Amino acid sequence: MELFLQQLVAGLSTGTIYACVALAVVMIYQAIGRVNFSQGEMAMLSTFAGWQMIEYGMPYWLAFPLTVVLSFVFGVLIERILIRPLRGAPALSLVIVFIGLLLIFNSVAGYIWSYTVKSFPTPFGTAPFLGSAWISQHQVGMMGTTLAILILLFLFFRFTRVGLAMRGAANNPESARLLGIRVWTMEGLGWGLAAAIGAVAGMLIAPIVFLEPNMMAGTLVYGFAGAVLGGLTSPGGAVLGGIIVGVMENLAGTFIPVIGGELKLTLALVTIVGVLVIRPQGLLGKKMVSRV
Amino acid sequence: MKGQLVIRSLTAAYGSSQVLHDINLRVNAGEITALLGANGAGKTSTLRAISGMLSRQGCIEFNGLRIDQLSTEEVARLGVGHVPDGRGTFSGLSVIENLQLGAIRRNDKVGINGDMDRIFDYFPVLFDRRTQQAGTLSGGEQQMLAVGRALMARPSLLLLDEPSFGLAPLVVRDLFRIVRRLNKEQGLSILLVEQNAHLALDLADQAFLLETGRIVFSGSAEAIQRNDSIRRAYLGN
Repeated sequence: MELFLQQLVAGLSTGTIYACVALAVVMIYQAIGRVNFSQGEMAMLSTFAGWQMIEYGMPYWLAFPLTVVLSFVFGVLIERILIRPLRGAPALSLVIVFIGLLLIFNSVAGYIWSYTVKSFPTPFGTAPFLGSAWISQHQVGMMGTTLAILILLFLFFRFTRVGLAMRGAANNPESARLLGIRVWTMEGLGWGLAAAIGAVAGMLIAPIVFLEPNMMAGTLVYGFAGAVLGGLTSPGGAVLGGIIVGVMENLAGTFIPVIGGELKLTLALVTIVGVLVIRPQGLLGKKMVSRV
Repeated sequence: MKGQLVIRSLTAAYGSSQVLHDINLRVNAGEITALLGANGAGKTSTLRAISGMLSRQGCIEFNGLRIDQLSTEEVARLGVGHVPDGRGTFSGLSVIENLQLGAIRRNDKVGINGDMDRIFDYFPVLFDRRTQQAGTLSGGEQQMLAVGRALMARPSLLLLDEPSFGLAPLVVRDLFRIVRRLNKEQGLSILLVEQNAHLALDLADQAFLLETGRIVFSGSAEAIQRNDSIRRAYLGN
């Protein structure tokens, strides 16, 4: 029982990270209708940027928001420079661009910072949380930070004018333009936000998976699994899916001997395929309802 | 009065196939102007050219300002409301959010709420469905929502693309009554595209007749209704 609760809580805490990655993937999917395969490497680059600032002696809580802001700008620039010119191009073109970006970001990070594994500091401490054997201070801090950010995002999309404009632009770009909404600006904002969320996820998971150019590979697959499970058309579903995948990963890895530590990632891939076969719209995704 | 639209020698093309040839058209401020023609005559293309959704050449003046070089969003920002072909519903958003999106460029909260109440007054069924996902509305309800959404931006010119399409006759009658009311009470200028010519001519002050991308007749709505040869050739009786 003790072990079960411990794994459950650990799953919930990594699940919030997967939820962030899933949300970033869904935000871009909603804007351009494609899955951004380089989402993880973008987050990895952000994390390296944050690490470099801390190495230069910047306090963590200054480096953290600065990295998030820089990542936002980075995301906006990627959309402006690389994605916008491809408007209307076949799906495969964008997929190739995303794979290209993945490889480029990975190599650039390796070139600049080398492939040796680095530790990443946590501002929350690594001691057990309140003396509990279940969960560490870092895991609690990680969960708290991601949940706060997810709630802020929800409020942003639900209650602000820009949030509404972004949803409108994603839902029906042509109608949005007829109402004077600059759809391209909204898509750029979406990319910026996705990159910023990825940066948060990267910096919070780095103390656990350690910092190196391939650090986000596993996290991205779990994030994808979460996004597909929850529904690529549903931001709320993506968050739920990410958390479910986190819990599932930990419980299955611990209690199903066949899976263990080695097949955990396979489980995520099986989840992706299974959902796409059985319920392509995911748990909360909309099977496009429309009447004419 | 605002809302005047003057179009001179407008041509437009989809890729290499030209769909509009030398269109001259005028919407007087405060009037309802009908644009009539058969399927494929270029009615929708004319509206799309005005809104910059179709590459166009020629001169389009709105309230004395050239708009033929402007993008869709810039034309909209100047006060051209466009109820598009197919209704353009934000299907994943609620009815209220659809209306709020109409007012997205405005800052006057009180005025926005007042306008929303007015639209619920015009179309009570939208109020009943205000929290519902807009994609689940019936065709007629989505048409009302499209009109409501365009009005929320307080345009001075409204482009209406076949508002009667696919609607039950009673619903059409209601919708046209409201269009007339908007024109009379608020002086809203309207360019109405319709296949149902009788309906449109009853409502309109002026009318233009479009045939394979060319204007073949223009005049007052009454003149068209009285002209036997045009009636027989284009209006079916």
